[in-house]
Amino acid sequence: MNLTHWFQLWRRSPQSLRLGSIILVFWLLVAVFGALWTPYGYAQLGAGLPLSGVSWDHPFGIDQLGRDVFSRVLYGTHIVILLALAGTTLGVVIGALIGLVSAYIGGWLDEVVQRFAEAFISIPFLVLALLIIALAGPDLSGDPILIVMVVAFVYTPRITRMARAAALDVITRDFVTIAKLRGESAWSVVWRELLPNTTGTLLVEFSLRAGYAPALVGSLGFLGFGIKPPIPEWGLMISENRQLILAQPITVIGPGLALASLIVGLNMFTEGLARILGRTVKLGEQ
Amino acid sequence: MRVATDPVIAVEELDFAYRTSGQWVTVLKGVSVHIEKGEVLGLVGESGCGKSTLAYTLLSYLRSNARIDNGKVLFGGLNLLDLQRSELDQLRGVQISLVPQNPTTALSPHIRVGQQIGEVLVQHDFLQDKSVIDERIQELFSLVELPNPDALALRYPHQLSGGQQQRVCIAMALACDPNLLILDEPTTGLDVTTQSQIIALLIRLRKQLGMCMLYVTHDLGVLAQIADRVGVMYAGYMVEVAPLDRLFDTPRHPYTKGLIGSVPDVDIRKRMSQSLKGLLQRDKLPVGCPFQPRCDHEDATCREMPQTLEIVSDGHQVACQRWRSIEPGVPVDLTDAEWSTAPGDRSLLALDNVSLRYSADTLFSSVFGRSSIPVVRQVSLSLRRSETLALVGESGSGKSTIAKAVAGILPPLTGIIEFDETGLAGDIRRRTAEQRKNIQFIFQNPDASLNPRSSIEQILSRPLVKFFGLSNSELHDAIDDSLASVKLDSTYRARYPDELSGGERQRVAIARALAARPKLLLCDEILSALDVSVQANIISLLRQLQTENEIAMLFISHDLAVVRNLAHRVAVLYDGELMETGQVEALFSPPFHPYTHVLLLAVPSIYNRRASNVPARTEIVGTAAGKGCAFAGRCPWQLGEVCTQEDPPWRQNGQSNWIRCHHPLEELSKRATWHLQLNGTGKPG
Repeated sequence: MNLTHWFQLWRRSPQSLRLGSIILVFWLLVAVFGALWTPYGYAQLGAGLPLSGVSWDHPFGIDQLGRDVFSRVLYGTHIVILLALAGTTLGVVIGALIGLVSAYIGGWLDEVVQRFAEAFISIPFLVLALLIIALAGPDLSGDPILIVMVVAFVYTPRITRMARAAALDVITRDFVTIAKLRGESAWSVVWRELLPNTTGTLLVEFSLRAGYAPALVGSLGFLGFGIKPPIPEWGLMISENRQLILAQPITVIGPGLALASLIVGLNMFTEGLARILGRTVKLGEQ
Repeated sequence: MRVATDPVIAVEELDFAYRTSGQWVTVLKGVSVHIEKGEVLGLVGESGCGKSTLAYTLLSYLRSNARIDNGKVLFGGLNLLDLQRSELDQLRGVQISLVPQNPTTALSPHIRVGQQIGEVLVQHDFLQDKSVIDERIQELFSLVELPNPDALALRYPHQLSGGQQQRVCIAMALACDPNLLILDEPTTGLDVTTQSQIIALLIRLRKQLGMCMLYVTHDLGVLAQIADRVGVMYAGYMVEVAPLDRLFDTPRHPYTKGLIGSVPDVDIRKRMSQSLKGLLQRDKLPVGCPFQPRCDHEDATCREMPQTLEIVSDGHQVACQRWRSIEPGVPVDLTDAEWSTAPGDRSLLALDNVSLRYSADTLFSSVFGRSSIPVVRQVSLSLRRSETLALVGESGSGKSTIAKAVAGILPPLTGIIEFDETGLAGDIRRRTAEQRKNIQFIFQNPDASLNPRSSIEQILSRPLVKFFGLSNSELHDAIDDSLASVKLDSTYRARYPDELSGGERQRVAIARALAARPKLLLCDEILSALDVSVQANIISLLRQLQTENEIAMLFISHDLAVVRNLAHRVAVLYDGELMETGQVEALFSPPFHPYTHVLLLAVPSIYNRRASNVPARTEIVGTAAGKGCAFAGRCPWQLGEVCTQEDPPWRQNGQSNWIRCHHPLEELSKRATWHLQLNGTGKPG
């Protein structure tokens, strides 16, 4: 893979992928280096006059407590991205495992797993998320691990169904029959035969879900069930500053813009990636 | 003999390219061909030679990723390639029409077949009036010999058999009285008996309507029945054009000779002595002769010198500069079978009264006594060590189902399967590791039987790890040995299935089965997805492997020619019941079971050209299933009541051949005609 090859690939990829990856790379850089470059500490009080508006020193203004909103947004980037990605990854891994095994074993087990998955899917995202947080109890409230778990749990049933559908397509193929005739264990068939032939679908599913995850994390933060203050998670910041929306709208618009552009960027990227993967999934790996 | 007249259609110097993954690939290079009035031109070649592309170009039909670089298609004074879509619509289906390969996908599943033909007539303004259209549809259906045209026109495609569907497609192509009919592998998906009937129909239609045809196929035997002239294509080049008999009797181009030599034939005693070596590698085509890398007669200039068609004799052209110095191919008589493994004496596999059914009885069906009829009924077979038993029959005869039962995919409903003198559990999960190791399955389609995400190394290592617990260097060596056994070198280890050709993939599938060192190979139509030259290679490979490893094979095939070339014994199945079993020589000589005889008559042979003895179409007369002879309804020699009501007896013929028929053996011998038509060197047997 030399440079011209990458250039070719870039030129042939869909517009949405190109634009999305630019936005995404920007946010990844911010996530990695943002915390080092913040002009003020994320919890530093008195960074400026509270509720003073946009200025060169404070592009997103100053909140009620005198904290620099821009610094808080920069610092919060890695938190949002980490929570979203960790949650999605966990959801895809568990969901894929359940889906593939359920499809291969079949019978009543498959029946039970699928009905459970459907039941969970029928509950709206946020309601389900809040239900889990409520069940987890007040001690765990605000724990980043809990947020990751919530995202994973919300996604798992959806991934399960997707993985099962993809696996059913593969199970009827002759190489799976050959593996069964050889006496391979269910685990071996799932791992060697089913998983490699469903990775394309799962990757597409992962990227689409990852695109929505920041929105879910942000919503939880906004409702006060996410990360606890003073950690500058974006949804939480929007929620904290919403009383100021008439006085200094920039303190809400700033983190709002950040969240919106990350979600749009992720979605464009994943949609473009899904299209490319969808096209090449059948070709196998070179 | 033929005076050059105005051709109906002529292709001149056609260059054609497809764009795949960003690159233009030439698929036709300087192809010129013409079809004269009333003539059937056959186009033959292996997959990827450009024959279908050429056929579709005659309709001026281009896919969006196609480009014509040069050339003309002249039809009635027009260059079809210059015409607009609206002008082409006036031509296609009216003057030039197409019979596609797969009638199942060519017919729209939700429209009644009569209506689909009506659409063609209306679309082309051929007929307008409803009653006239209906009349025309009836006329067309009778023309293609469909029974009960009135009722049939109201059916949906799925209510017709494959042969009937293809007849509807032919009727549709004929709807507007075309001058030229293009047939793209029209019988490839059909059973051999249906194929022979469709070919007979086409021959009759051509006489009756006097139209000309372009017949595209990979099957030389089929062309031998219908074509006047044949064009042989290789890698996008037309390498030889000749009248039918001259092509088969004195082929000039080395590729043609190899191709003819590779075709297995039911007439085993005759064979072109040449076969084809190597594989077509499109990315390594020389500027000169495309066949040079695989040719036995190449000299220094072949690689550089572009070859043009030179006239050998009237109507016979060949694109080989060396044709004068190469002997034309001659069929040679083979005296002995080329190989002989004497099968051992001990029985390896025995099926005793095995019946098989797909779906188990549900509560409903068992309460109401509506259990479905088993697809395989009371089949008893035996197979000895290092013996090849071929299971022959049409699609739906249950031959693959039997292999599935032996493999342990489908537990038998009743009956016993014995392997190595011990009972074999119906379900694979209840078999011992030893039994699983000893019975290996090879599927028809290597694309589906190799995991596309596993490297060849991973694919071959599984049975070695699973059955022999090999690891590290032992495993490494064993994989190399496996590859070597199917004549692939160790560079294949790191490759993935999609980087291999179809033949190489099937070799890997065979290597995987052999890696388990089985005693029994179940081969389910393993050659039918492959080109003839590849088939020939795999057949000789299988023979060699069998001699070396003393493996028994249950070889399932619809192709009697292959069976004759490979099997020791044959079992003929019809609709789930055994009709005849016996040694291969005995099966191909009288007395024949009536069904075997029907099958043999239907097999097209290149040594029996323009065969006129197509069996009469016999309607399936309703027989109560499970009662009488399963074949009674289609039997041309049916005796009447006794056949439909009473189980036919097994009659012993010689030492180990059995025929199940109400006719006595003498009568069957007397009625047999197939062996008489094999021209040449005496009677078989």
